[in-house]
Amino acid sequence: MVLNWPAILNLITYTSSCSNLLPLVFFLLFKKNNKEKALRVIFYYILYCILNEILIYYLHGIRVKNDYILFALFTVTEFSFFCFFYKYALPTKFIKKSIIPIWAIFTIFAFVDFFLINQMSAFDSIASGLESIFIILMCIYYLVVQLKGTNNLFVYSTSNFWIIITFLIYLSGTFFLYIMAENMMKTKAFIIQYIVINSAFNILKNILLSIAMLMKSTPIDKNKQKNDNWDDFLSHELKN
Amino acid sequence: MFFLQTSGNSFSVSNVLIFGTIGMFVMAITLVSVVVFHQRRVIKFNKQLQKMEEEKQQMLLKASINFQEEERQRIAADLHDDAGPLLATARLYLNENPIHQEPAVQLQSIFSAKQIIDDSIQLIRNISHSLMPPTLKNFGLESAIKDLFEKINGSGVINASARFHDNRERLKEDQELLVFRILQELVTNIIKHSGSGFIHLTQNVQGNFSYFRIHHDGKGILQKDFERLNYDSGGLGLKNIESRIKVLKGSISFDIDSTNTYYKVTIEVPREPAK
Repeated sequence: MVLNWPAILNLITYTSSCSNLLPLVFFLLFKKNNKEKALRVIFYYILYCILNEILIYYLHGIRVKNDYILFALFTVTEFSFFCFFYKYALPTKFIKKSIIPIWAIFTIFAFVDFFLINQMSAFDSIASGLESIFIILMCIYYLVVQLKGTNNLFVYSTSNFWIIITFLIYLSGTFFLYIMAENMMKTKAFIIQYIVINSAFNILKNILLSIAMLMKSTPIDKNKQKNDNWDDFLSHELKN
Repeated sequence: MFFLQTSGNSFSVSNVLIFGTIGMFVMAITLVSVVVFHQRRVIKFNKQLQKMEEEKQQMLLKASINFQEEERQRIAADLHDDAGPLLATARLYLNENPIHQEPAVQLQSIFSAKQIIDDSIQLIRNISHSLMPPTLKNFGLESAIKDLFEKINGSGVINASARFHDNRERLKEDQELLVFRILQELVTNIIKHSGSGFIHLTQNVQGNFSYFRIHHDGKGILQKDFERLNYDSGGLGLKNIESRIKVLKGSISFDIDSTNTYYKVTIEVPREPAK
């Protein structure tokens, strides 16, 4: 049986692109009036992903071959969105102090790499790899903080946790793909691998983000409150 | 798979890409699983701790309620068994019509009734003092403690002394009473169970806290013994100490000095000065 690869790849690409709508729909259905800033950042990130996809299709439609600038911009913007999200998800002093310098260093590096070193003619593998490493490390730090925390709430019942694992899995899965892309983009076999792996992880990312959108807001720990009031209760009992 | 059916060089690159991707993916999944399972275990453990704490608090609450009940029963028994018969006897003396009696007998009856009423007054005063020592109310914790220690010294069995280093500002009345009851209970326990020859109490203030430390040379208990006895069904006195400490929002610690000679009980109480 002869497989019609171009058709299969097209199908995968379109599915991946359409999957971007999934978290958007879930956000609008379940989180429309949500005031949580971290979630709002992710909502704008999803909108940007959709806009980026549309731009890529448009550039392909008008036969523009060099669309690497879109990838480079996407890398920087994705990292910026993640930094914003992270600042709201983990508002510690350490994060507040270090997130802006990290973002600034990365952005400068990414632009220097793309415009001066790569001369806008190749995939920004180094910047993408660096972005993945930074985000994976930040995700691990978030998980470590959750491990050390004394919160009695199940970590997987919060939307921030699902967003963190989305980025962790998505960037872990595409890490090798992105760092090899600069030198291998001209190989046909690699392009097929790129489309398949990138689309698969993109779909997975959108499914996980949709789950994040389904998560309810953090409830108040009533048991803790009950214990705090116990002293007053005993005092009242003794007085009477 | 299609993307493996390529030339030799591409094949090895494909391998690196596929195994690398799978490896990273597995690593990410493992990391997330470890976090989720560890957190589940921590939450389970925390819930167990919380349950134990709630049980302990229930026990303390029961102990304090039992203590109140016992106190009420004791007062009721004192009034019923002592004050009741005394007043009934006085009434009996005065019930007889003294006019028909000899003047000497009349005087005798009135004198006896007066004697009995005086005894009744004394009895009621004792009951009242046991509920709220007047020295404590009028002159404060230092005087009340010194008064208590003087009575203990009067027995000649044990030597009790107290030194208040910083008592310029009295605590709130409620706090003073609670601290007094705790110290009274501790001293009673030391006298009853430790077989010590001396008790020394020191008081000091540091920041917003008052510290009370009792030293004695008998057989005392350590923190772990205190916690164990607190969980036992008996030990009402210790449970009362614990519940009073909770009401004061303070802490208590039992330990022994480095030479293993003197046992120490230290109470830390947040200061609420009297207005």
